[in-house]
Amino acid sequence: MASNLDRLIKAKIPGDETGISIRHSLCDICTPVHHCGVDAYVKDGRVLKVEGTPDNPYNQGFLCTKGLCNRQYMYREDRLRTPLKRVGARGEGRFEPLGWDQAYAEIARGLGAVKEKYGPHAVAFFSGYAKWYRPIFQRFAFAFGSVNYGTDDSVCNNSGVMGLKCTVGRVAKPDLKNSRVFLGWAFGGYYSAHMAVRGLRGFKDRGGKVIIIDPKITPAVKHFADLHLMIKTGTDGALALGMARLIIDQGWVDRDYIRNHTCGYEDFTGLVRDFDLETTAGITGVPQELIYEATRLFATIKPGCINDSSSTVAHHANGFQNYRAIACLLALTGNFDVAGGNLPVLDTYIYRPAGFSMRAAHFAGELRPDYRHIGAGRFPIWDELVPEFQAVDLARHILEEKPYPVKALFTLGMNVKMFAGTDRMIEALKSLDFFVNTDLFETDTNKYADLVLPVCSSLERVDFKVYPGGYAFLTKAAVEPLYESKRDVDILFDLVKVLGIKDELLEKGYEACMDYMLEGSGLTMAELKKHDKPVKAPAFKPYVPGDYTREGYATPSGKFEFSSRLIAKYRQSHGLDPLPAYRSPFADEPDEEGRRKKYPLVLTTGTRLPNAIHSRLHGVPWARSLRPEPTADVNRHDAAARGVAEGDDIEIVTDYGRLKVKAHLTSKVGSGNVHFFHGYSEANANLLIGPHRVDPYSGFPAYKSNLCDFMKS
Amino acid sequence: MKYVIVFDPDRCSACSACAVACMDQNDIDIQAGERGYRRAFEWESQVGGQALCAYISASCLHCGDAPCIMACPTGCLRRSLTTGLVIYDNSGCIGCRSCSLACPFGAPRFRADGKMVKCDGCHVRLENGLKPACVRACAFDALICLTGGEYQKMLEEKAESSLVKALGVWGPRG
Repeated sequence: MASNLDRLIKAKIPGDETGISIRHSLCDICTPVHHCGVDAYVKDGRVLKVEGTPDNPYNQGFLCTKGLCNRQYMYREDRLRTPLKRVGARGEGRFEPLGWDQAYAEIARGLGAVKEKYGPHAVAFFSGYAKWYRPIFQRFAFAFGSVNYGTDDSVCNNSGVMGLKCTVGRVAKPDLKNSRVFLGWAFGGYYSAHMAVRGLRGFKDRGGKVIIIDPKITPAVKHFADLHLMIKTGTDGALALGMARLIIDQGWVDRDYIRNHTCGYEDFTGLVRDFDLETTAGITGVPQELIYEATRLFATIKPGCINDSSSTVAHHANGFQNYRAIACLLALTGNFDVAGGNLPVLDTYIYRPAGFSMRAAHFAGELRPDYRHIGAGRFPIWDELVPEFQAVDLARHILEEKPYPVKALFTLGMNVKMFAGTDRMIEALKSLDFFVNTDLFETDTNKYADLVLPVCSSLERVDFKVYPGGYAFLTKAAVEPLYESKRDVDILFDLVKVLGIKDELLEKGYEACMDYMLEGSGLTMAELKKHDKPVKAPAFKPYVPGDYTREGYATPSGKFEFSSRLIAKYRQSHGLDPLPAYRSPFADEPDEEGRRKKYPLVLTTGTRLPNAIHSRLHGVPWARSLRPEPTADVNRHDAAARGVAEGDDIEIVTDYGRLKVKAHLTSKVGSGNVHFFHGYSEANANLLIGPHRVDPYSGFPAYKSNLCDFMKS
Repeated sequence: MKYVIVFDPDRCSACSACAVACMDQNDIDIQAGERGYRRAFEWESQVGGQALCAYISASCLHCGDAPCIMACPTGCLRRSLTTGLVIYDNSGCIGCRSCSLACPFGAPRFRADGKMVKCDGCHVRLENGLKPACVRACAFDALICLTGGEYQKMLEEKAESSLVKALGVWGPRG
């Protein structure tokens, strides 16, 4: 029989007796919109187990499937242990360990040589999916003297943000707790936003009506939807314009709001004329009665709000305008900036609104050199709104050296599989004079780098985070950084010294930079250090609905712009339409009809799985065991028509490439659709998508809609 | 105190948070061929052209009349006096698999060393005021852990609520 102490240790019961303590940290496996509080069970400097922090103001004790993988994620076998120097050819993957000082000396030499020969802008700085160091990294790049700072925002959430900024100046989030009807446009929740599901459960229990618009049948559809509009992928804009016409024709518009707070309404009513019910149903595949009923519910029950789904609606060649068309429904029905509608928000720190201001954007951007950045002029709306380069142009710029050469890349956690047309990006990486990347793990990208630096996970570091409701959290490391890894920001501050970067704040280090950004919040690093859980910022001020409307919107007209004046500037030069006009998601393809015959199905990549986020968890055995092989979800009838059975090897074919994967047959994916998750080294979805397929407004790749077919392999 | 782990299929999404929490709690080594004691899955079938689907999370059900206890010739399995859950001490396990033959749900499994393992309801956590790992992890309340008394109360409330609905007086908002 095991002793009682053995039983307690085996069950990981915290306490003096077992020597197991609980340290409060956070998970940064997925987006900063979550970054849930984590309780790490620690014994002898090792994490034994994780749970959600019960009194974290955001996640209230709950982690998702991915967050629960934190222990195996941080102890992944392929964690990088030391800095590495490439000894083989680029792509070969042969490296030798070297010390930090040697690595820094190599970086000084490599970046210095390029800067001297081609100028500072020939060194481009880029961040992969990780966000936590961003303001410091951006300032670092600008202080180095390069205008070329870019991030995964080029393909992540920014398209929707830009769409709303062009329309009404700010992002607006659904105020579910005061709402009566929820238009869940692309709301999935269960595999991407577990806390939103809890919110929707409460909403439903209070009698709220739920409409879900999604090409898939999801758990949210099953558990919540009063109506499910199973829309054809990428036709969201047409549906929104059809709903808009119905709202106008039926007299369901909020005339006061339109008169007082919008502009371009007349032009907009002209635009929606083409979208009668029959036409809209034809384009979207949603039956007319359903469109009518959904529109009636949303427009006549007040107040109502719309889900703000950044990627699924936006990641199409027509996504930016689709997004704007949906936003227009808020104005038509007077649901913008009212309790229970969508409320405008401002980010406090790194994409997270928390109800108080910090100086992060100013800190990050104030040293930006005035120079033509990568991709400048190709996507003018991006140039107007985002102080970064649009990274979809990075490979082209490197390869063509136009309008000037970029010869070195300094990247934090770059993932080459992020880029549609990954092969082209690899070609660009191979052509560089010098390339440094950081990561936690051995990656496909590292293979092309001259130097690879090991960084640590969120549980191994001090990290600063804000949460809605006015909360700020300075975490303490649950355990020391593993092996010789460092925090990304510490590498940057070390390099400030090594490279001789002249900037007073960066030279002073992390705490000085954070204190600078915190000024005005009522918090300081000294104060935050006293707490091991989130604390409330004295400057927190709850938003009062209507305040933003009263002060006037941050658009050229100060109004909600059905017709965007910012976009109108580029009507002639770039052929952009200031109205949220609809075009087919494949209208950018030459000979759309011919292609549709050759490739009768639509491939959607990146639909969320519970056990994966980009490529981060594919190498975590617990997560991987839930879907061991790269598998496409295909409709049963489409499979039957191709003689494909469950678990068969299939080949997905597009105009750009082909990929061998497993087939999973389901009725939850509509006929005509193929869903496949991205980020697999052995089956990289972005080898199926051409780098030319981008939205002309945002530059965003068409990850969610590519014409394809599949066949038994 | 007796405990009941209750599963609600109307809240489950088969996200497997419960399954991963179980693996984390029990140090499951996937690469060595081990599997977690809880599993979540999507079930889908076609009946007359109509798609039927379910989201399920399953592990040992800690049956009231647990046949595995009776089946074990070496007395490894027993009912915990403190939690009412079906627990085990596999130090005497001879790997005969009688328990797994007796179990209708496939809960008992056998490690590479031939010893039986299964969900023990995290009874040591329960004894120490903590919830079972899977229950603690479920953000959707699809898995909850109740005391025997709470469970009885829940059943009564469900019955009452069904009656109220059947009588047509449900719906506070028109």
